[in-house]
Amino acid sequence: MRKHITAAASAIAIALPAANAVAAATRSTAATVTPKKKVVTVTKTVKGTQIQAQEWGYIEVTLVVKKTTTTVGTKTTVARKITSVSVPIYPNHTNRSVFINQQALPMLEHEALAAQFTGGINMISGASDSSDAFIQSLQAALLAGKRA
Amino acid sequence: MLGTLPGTRRVEQIMGMPIVLDVRDEHVGDDVVQGVFDWFRWVDSTFSTYKDDSEISRLNRGILALRDAHPDVVEVLDRCERLCVETDGYFDVHAASADELDPSGLVKGWAVDRAAALLDAAGLRNYAVNAAGDMRLRGRAVPELHWRVGIQHPLEPDRVARVLDTTDLAVATSGEYARGAHVLDPHTHRPPSGILSVTITGPDLATADAYATAAFAMGAGRATHWTARLHGYEAMTILADGSVLSTPGFGS
Repeated sequence: MRKHITAAASAIAIALPAANAVAAATRSTAATVTPKKKVVTVTKTVKGTQIQAQEWGYIEVTLVVKKTTTTVGTKTTVARKITSVSVPIYPNHTNRSVFINQQALPMLEHEALAAQFTGGINMISGASDSSDAFIQSLQAALLAGKRA
Repeated sequence: MLGTLPGTRRVEQIMGMPIVLDVRDEHVGDDVVQGVFDWFRWVDSTFSTYKDDSEISRLNRGILALRDAHPDVVEVLDRCERLCVETDGYFDVHAASADELDPSGLVKGWAVDRAAALLDAAGLRNYAVNAAGDMRLRGRAVPELHWRVGIQHPLEPDRVARVLDTTDLAVATSGEYARGAHVLDPHTHRPPSGILSVTITGPDLATADAYATAAFAMGAGRATHWTARLHGYEAMTILADGSVLSTPGFGS
């Protein structure tokens, strides 16, 4: 069954310190240069400094940057790619910030309603109350549980 | 055929619902089984809103004062009040009538929790107590297998929407498909919309059942956000559009 994560996104805080964090990323180390063609890949995790996000509190962005240095003879090209962005410190110091984070953070797994047969089941949880169908399905489940 | 399973199984109709006791320990005393069903009958006689001489009926008629009620009645009503606050009023003993208490929504789960405590005290370690689809599980169905609990499919009576392979858990489901519109949003006095069922799992059935009732009454718009922030309880909500939203720990 296919699953994906649904989250109510709160993008409010993410944009602000990105420039700062990218600046930190560019300071990562250079690759070794050799005469022949050589590709060196360095992956670094870099943190932006904590930044006051207006009245919402402090946030801090962490980037994972992959730096690929390709050397052919004397020519060197460098490519940097951001492979992930995360916000490890959430603004929490005002009631409004806490409210926004509570709205944003709960994660729910989302899938389509499926219908399965009741084989091998011991019990059924449902809002069936006193219906005869419930007793019948329960007995069937008990028997199926026996066979499982 | 069932005789080859260890333990004992018994179903009785009490409180207007089938109550199933399924014990899988090798040795189960008849007195323990009898004690569990005697307990449910006492709960029915004390809490039923259908029996004129129950304590709840007498409280509602004003001929019994709360200070004279049984301590269990006081405890249940107190928990109902706290759950009402905790669920923003969506679990409400006055949902059906402003003038009358109806704690039935908590009594079933609470009675099953106490039945589980009776079984624990008797030294039993592998059992299920299921009251009309809301249950407490402990241990294993057979030594090599956990309990397998199907969550009723809301639209196909002979199917299940999900199977939980589980142990030591309470499972409660609230939904609309069994008796028609019997759960009302206490704020609007109308049936909730866009939602078919809510299943809650956790350590305590009374709480899980109250949460399931409250979340279902909230309707599709609010239920999933509310269940996502519960502590110690997990949720699976089936919406009318055929989507199923589960908290990350549901079924694990």
